[in-house]
This record gives sequence, C-alpha cells and structure tokens, in this order.
Amino acid sequence: MNYLIIGGSAAGVSAAETLRKHDKKASITLVSDESLPLYSRCLLTYLIAGVISEEKLHFKNKDFYQANAIKTYLGKKALTIDRKKKTVNLEGKTTLSYDRLLLATGALAKTMDLPGSDKKSVFTVRNIGDARGIIAMLDKIKTAVVLGGGLIGLRDAYALALKQKKVAVVVKSPHVLSQMIDADSAGIIAQQLMAHGIEILTGVEASAITGADSVEAVALDNGQTFDCQMVIVGKGVNPNMSLAESSQIKTEEGIVVNEFLQTSDEHIFAAGDVAQTYDITRGSYRINALWPCAVEQGEVAALNMLGKNRAYDGSLAMNSVDFFGLSCISMGITKAQKEEGYEILSKTRGTLYKKILLKENRIVGMVFLDDVKAAGVVSALIRYKVDISSIKTLLLEDNFDYAKIMPLIARFREKFSQEEFQDTMISYIPRITASPLC
Amino acid sequence: MAVKKLSQKKDPQIKIFCDLSKCVACKTCELACAVEHSQSKDLERALSETTRPKKRVAVSAVGERALSIHCQHCQEAPCVSACMSGAMQKDPASGATIQDKDKCVGCWMCVMVCPFGAIVRDIENHIAVKCDLCPDRDDYACVAACPTGALFSGTKEEFEKKLKEKKVKK
Repeated sequence: MNYLIIGGSAAGVSAAETLRKHDKKASITLVSDESLPLYSRCLLTYLIAGVISEEKLHFKNKDFYQANAIKTYLGKKALTIDRKKKTVNLEGKTTLSYDRLLLATGALAKTMDLPGSDKKSVFTVRNIGDARGIIAMLDKIKTAVVLGGGLIGLRDAYALALKQKKVAVVVKSPHVLSQMIDADSAGIIAQQLMAHGIEILTGVEASAITGADSVEAVALDNGQTFDCQMVIVGKGVNPNMSLAESSQIKTEEGIVVNEFLQTSDEHIFAAGDVAQTYDITRGSYRINALWPCAVEQGEVAALNMLGKNRAYDGSLAMNSVDFFGLSCISMGITKAQKEEGYEILSKTRGTLYKKILLKENRIVGMVFLDDVKAAGVVSALIRYKVDISSIKTLLLEDNFDYAKIMPLIARFREKFSQEEFQDTMISYIPRITASPLC
Repeated sequence: MAVKKLSQKKDPQIKIFCDLSKCVACKTCELACAVEHSQSKDLERALSETTRPKKRVAVSAVGERALSIHCQHCQEAPCVSACMSGAMQKDPASGATIQDKDKCVGCWMCVMVCPFGAIVRDIENHIAVKCDLCPDRDDYACVAACPTGALFSGTKEEFEKKLKEKKVKK
C-alpha cells in the first residue's frame, strides 16, 4: 500500500506513526509546507515567553521520520489532487501517487481586514516563522495590543506579559474566553490577568492600526487609542480547506467526514483542525481544533486507511489554560441555561470555581478553575455518558476523585471497558460494610 | 531526547494493585512515595528540602473502604495523546507511561484527560508529576511501605490468586 499524508503536525504525524506501527512494509510519505519538522505549535507562546528554547519545540524525536521510514517533502506545498489518477501535485513540479490519502492540512490563523493591518509588527501566532518574527522584535518594543480575547489571544497576551511587556487585550465579546467558558469563570480569569498588569477591554473592536512604517497605535471603535509598537491578531483559526475545495471534496465548516473519518472520496481521509468530526457532547459534526483531538483523529484515520474499520467515538471539546498559576479546565457544553433543559451544579470560593452541566443526569460539560485535579475523572464520565445520579452530590466536593466513581464503574461495567478500569476493581465489592475510614 | 531514568522494570504484565478490603487509609504509601521522590530519600531530611517532595499516589475513600490509586500506565494512554510537548511517552519495552520532565511545560492537558486523576500538578516547579514506577529501586516504595499488605505488585493473575487464598482462609 502507498500512503500519502498532507500535513506534518499533530494529526499527520500521529497518522504516520500509526500506519507504520501496523504496517512495517508500506510506503508512507508525508508532505508539509513547513520546513521545520515535528514542532508543536501549541508551544509557540511558551517559546515567545522564553519558557522554552526552540530545541524543546519538538514533540517527537528528531529522527522520528527516519526511524519510521517515512519519506518526507518538507517546505513543499501540496497544490492539487488528481482524484482520478490518485496523485497529488506539489509545488516544484513533484507528483506523488497514493492508494490512501490523508488530508491533515490543519488551520490558518484568522486575520483582520483593518486599515493598517499590513504594517510591519502586526502578527498572528500560528507557525514558527511568526514566533521568530515576534521574538526578533521583543527587545525593541515596550507595549503591545492583542486583538482577540479567546484562548489564542489570551495565550499571546500572557506570553508578552511574561516578557515584561505592557499588554492590552481588545475583546469584542462581553467577556474573555467567550467560546470556551461562561461569564462567571471568565470574570475570575480576567481578574487574574488584570492583577498581573494585563489590560482587558471588553465589548470593543479595533478600527484601525496607525503608524508610519511600523505600528504606533491601535484605534478602537469607541474612540479610544492605544499606543503600542506591536499588534498580535489572536482571533482564532480557520480550517485550511483550499486543497480539499479545489479537488471538489465535500466541505462545510470543515472537510466533511463520516464516522471512519473518510471524506466524500472513499480513498481520501481527513483528520485534525481541518476535519468536521462528530462532537460527543453536542451530538453533531463540528470542528474541534484541539491537539488531543487531532492526535486521536490521526490515529483513527490511519487505522481506517489500513482497512481496520475503526469508528471514531467522536471528539470532546476540551481546553486547559494556566495564567500566572491560575488553572482552568473546561469541557463540552459550558454555557447552556437551565431553560434549555440543563441542570447546573456550581460552586465558588475565592478563585475556585466549579460548574458541571447535566442533561438527563449525564454530564455534558464542565468548568473547573483553580482546583482542577478531578477534571480527568469528569472527562471519563462525559465520554462514557454515565448516569451520575447516585454521586451527584459528590461531584463538586473538594475530595471528589476516582474512588468516588468506582460504584458507577461496578454498575456500568460495559461502559468502562478499558482494561485499566477493571484492574482497579478486582477487589471491589459493592456495599462493603465496615467502619468508615476517611 | 533521551528519556531519563527509564524504568528498570521491564515486564508490562506487572502492575501495582490495591486490595480494598485491606487498605485502612493510613496513607503510608503517600509518605513513602513522597520520600522516594525527594532528593535525600530520607523522611527527616526531605522535610527541609527547598522544593517539597511530591507524592504521586493518593488514598481516597470508596464508600466505606479506602483505595490507594496511582497511574495505571494505560496501554492506550490518553495523557500521551493529549501531551502537546512530547513529554508523556510510552516506553515500548516496559509499556510504562513515562515522562520527560525537561519537556513538560505544565499545560495540564494530561491532568485534563487522565480518568484516574493520577497526574498531579507540581505547582512549585510548574510540571506534571506522576508514578514513575520508582526507577531508583528494584521494588516499589508504596508497595514496600504498605503495612497491611493492601498494595501488591505482580501480575493480575497473581493478585486474583492472592485474593482467593485470603477468602479460603476466612
């Protein structure tokens, strides 16, 4: 078999690894338009912040491609697919053939069409070149404005703040992280950022970037102006679908795939930030442009390219952020209202905030702030759609942990089929009668 | 990118199990774990170390009994898939889930996905810590320290056999 992968980040690399694990002889080729191999783009803000060096950007051993006998075309853009001939044309007149093709083309940073957005020192943070550009300028700047108060914008702002830059974040929504969490928890995070000197302006948008050659200020639609020497557009990402679209593969919000991550062409699969996959808590197909989802999807797509018929369970939207030591983990649906049929459990104590959303006694979403240790346990309850009525009162308690869900594992054994769950249950006897211990 | 302190324990069949009927929640395992992961590996001296040693095992109540729980070294480990820095890895020889501390940036993605809640945030050093199967010793500190014999290391079959024998004795 001849496997071709377009994209060299989380999904593409995970697919390549899975293909090789199961097929030692196959020809595997990976194409990426980026020259630097195997770097984790999620670490770019850590690089900007000076927390890590470029050396530590790699998420796989440097000899990964060689060790797995994967042929690479790096720094080469895939231009077109000839689906009849089953070939892909790269820039530089290279044509590669395939039996099975994976589109793991990822996403591109959203840009803003603003007067002045073409100036030097207006950046997005998506690839290594962007990060290097920002780092090269850091010594020359004192203040920066970040446009966008979502996860990406805030991470960009946090990186600059760690470099002792004065940062203002311009947020169109009424609160930060509006796609990720509810207003209450976002308020606590905004407080934390402001306490560390980051300015947060909500409900406003930039109207222009001014300056002669390079940036001098950002003008806002409320008439305010902010002097700055750098602008970062951190508005999120759009799926990079041009290759799929130009070859008439079906796309909607992202590339449309079935439960086997197969596109409208049975020989072509898609995974990662470009794929519109089943979302576990929403029960519909959408993009979850997240690292863990991309890795999982790359693996599942590869198994199906190998003909193993592995259905994808679906992705769970989940995020983890940490700003100045305040952690926040969120999953699934976080902003629904009681009126929409959700039961909401919540608890606040200082910067501690916990909220769990239930529908028919199943957890469909959560936000944990500050005390996040049990987030993973909750993730299992969401993923396996477990009826939690018997432990509902324990969910937000400080001592909630794995032990508290063991009665559920005993009761719904078939949902917790993973061997490791059963290993912990060997000596478990329901309703053990003994004196209370702790 | 050599992973330091690769576990010497190469048999993927061997795991640490907890017998719920014997665990009395004394937390000796927690203490032994923290001491084992201190610089001095000595309780008295560990207490005065500048970064306090962190335990990677936790005792918790299950109904009216207790359980000592730590990383289960899952075959398909969600923490490895979720790790965006390549710090969490599977050791192909032992099947252990190992962590390259130098690569961890403390993003807590592993904490987010571990169904056992077995990954702990080391806030002082801003890295995740978890059971590393005691690479500096031949046995496991928690199992060796357990005063009731609730903690057991061996294969699943051996553990099941041990539980059966106990029943017969009664």
